[in-house]
Amino acid sequence: MAGRRVLITGVGSQVGSLLAARLESDPDVEHVAGLDTRRPKVRLERTQFIEADIRSPEIAQLIPATGADTIVHEQIVRQPGPGMGSRTMHDVNVMGTLQLLAACEGVPTLRTIVVRGSAGIYGAEPHAPQFFTEEMAHMYPLRTRFQRDVAEIENYFETYARRNAGVSCTMLRYQPAIGPGMRTQITRYLSQPVCPTYMGFDPRIQLVDIEDALEAIVAAVRNPVPGAVNVAGPGTIGLSRMIRLAGKRALPIAAPLFGAITSSGQRLGLDAQSEDFQRLLRYGRGVDTRRLTEEVGYTPVHTTSQAIESWIEHGRVAA
Amino acid sequence: MSSAGPEIVPAAIAFMRRVRTGLEAGLELPEALTRGATALPKDARETLIRVLDRLDGDYTEDEWGFDEDFAELVEPFFAFMFDSWWRVQVEGVERVPAHGRVLLTANHAGILPWDATMISVALLREHPLPRHPRFLVLDWAFDLPWISSGMRKVGGVVASPYNAMRLLEQDQLVAVFPEGVKGAGKPYSQRYRLQRFGRGGFVEIALRTGAPIVPVAIVGSEEIYPKVADLPVVARLLGAPYFPVTPTFPLLGPLGTVPLPSKWRIEFLDPIETASYGPEAADDRGLVLELTEQVRGRIQQALYANLVRRGPAFI
Repeated sequence: MAGRRVLITGVGSQVGSLLAARLESDPDVEHVAGLDTRRPKVRLERTQFIEADIRSPEIAQLIPATGADTIVHEQIVRQPGPGMGSRTMHDVNVMGTLQLLAACEGVPTLRTIVVRGSAGIYGAEPHAPQFFTEEMAHMYPLRTRFQRDVAEIENYFETYARRNAGVSCTMLRYQPAIGPGMRTQITRYLSQPVCPTYMGFDPRIQLVDIEDALEAIVAAVRNPVPGAVNVAGPGTIGLSRMIRLAGKRALPIAAPLFGAITSSGQRLGLDAQSEDFQRLLRYGRGVDTRRLTEEVGYTPVHTTSQAIESWIEHGRVAA
Repeated sequence: MSSAGPEIVPAAIAFMRRVRTGLEAGLELPEALTRGATALPKDARETLIRVLDRLDGDYTEDEWGFDEDFAELVEPFFAFMFDSWWRVQVEGVERVPAHGRVLLTANHAGILPWDATMISVALLREHPLPRHPRFLVLDWAFDLPWISSGMRKVGGVVASPYNAMRLLEQDQLVAVFPEGVKGAGKPYSQRYRLQRFGRGGFVEIALRTGAPIVPVAIVGSEEIYPKVADLPVVARLLGAPYFPVTPTFPLLGPLGTVPLPSKWRIEFLDPIETASYGPEAADDRGLVLELTEQVRGRIQQALYANLVRRGPAFI
């Protein structure tokens, strides 16, 4: 267990930076390396920063040089944003994963891969069971581009795991994360002056607190379980209650006009919602986290409403 | 209720006056409403304060989205339907186990799940240890505005075996309608004739979780929306499983969704114990079908008996 050498891809992201800091303080981790084109967002003491684009073939030389036995794949873009069109997003997600796996073939020391994937693969469906278990990934057709990306990424890792029996691949399926200082689709949504909602719909939203999000990765690094594992905080919260807790007003819009109104609101400075997020706002999604508790051995401590409350109390950043 | 009638008007005027002075004094609307509430009779004041707390997000929901506060706020409406509209008579409510997992299995009729809400009122009102049942609702309802969110707040979940299993594992009281859409969409002439009980999925779930099955016979729900015809083309356009034509709908528009005031009887029958078979018995096709038939037979028999006891449908 001791003397682990961990490589984090996407170390320049918020979660990636925090994870590097968390692993640095772990006595069992001997060496931490981080790969990204962006600098880490927090000061890191002993992380070896490798400045490279995950999409470029040069990582096939850089990754083996770290002698990593564990790779945490965090460079998955979850929402289009400034400087990140849906095209680039697809490129980073799919081409990045392909290049990473190609590079992994040349790392003889590799034993563990942990991917911070997304529960977005389940989609948001009106008729779905209230809690998705890990086997239900292909219950419904893949409707959005991001969903297809995630499915493709999962497919590559599955194939890789089949061909490399010595490497255990954990696919963590995350519900959206929230926490002090985080900037994600959810926090941007709740920081707007009004929050557009689907008229007559009040879906159940399930989130995960950033602390739990990090600890779940650490737990999976310690105790890698092959296959998919859902990660989410206990409990769910109704969208309307979430908006009220954030002290905002909901702006109900009739479903057929939602896309048109929000996209013209974009010109007025309101936030754009991705297709996935729009479906989430309409139908919501919950996942079953028994596998995380029973097999990986980590039980998230912050419920969904506590995660939101702590985000509101500390460090909500102005929009 | 009716004795409060004459007092309402002056109370409402005093309330509005206080709200207005509050607003003029520069208070925010919720605060002004809270101040004004002191002028209202006690129960109205409590309701208003609860509604205002809700606006601050100050209420709880469980992981299913069930919102006990909301369920209590709308309870008076369902209680009115129960007492005055349908004059529901309940029998055998004490046969429902007071704690632990239970699977209520009832016949299903009517286009909206009124029968589920009436079971709920019956248990809350007449059971010595009342608790809120959770019910499995036809999944297309969860794609409809307002209905979808209202349903989940009062304890409805999508009709999926995964939901039923998880609820029973959490030791809840779960109501299912195994006839499903076949029961809700049958024509008036077929009333009180039980349809096929699916493939016995509900028995499998009961066996796997060891929950006792309590059959429930509901008389009266068939007359609330007498379906005389079906417009399949319109149903296809709306994505609904069927589009009913009743004497009032769609003729009277939204008014046509007001259910007719038939007279109801709800009878809870003796529980069928399943724990002794063990969870593996859920894979025993023969046993599952046998138990399904047994439940169906008992409900059908109880339906005929209660129809006779009820007498005329509306008076």
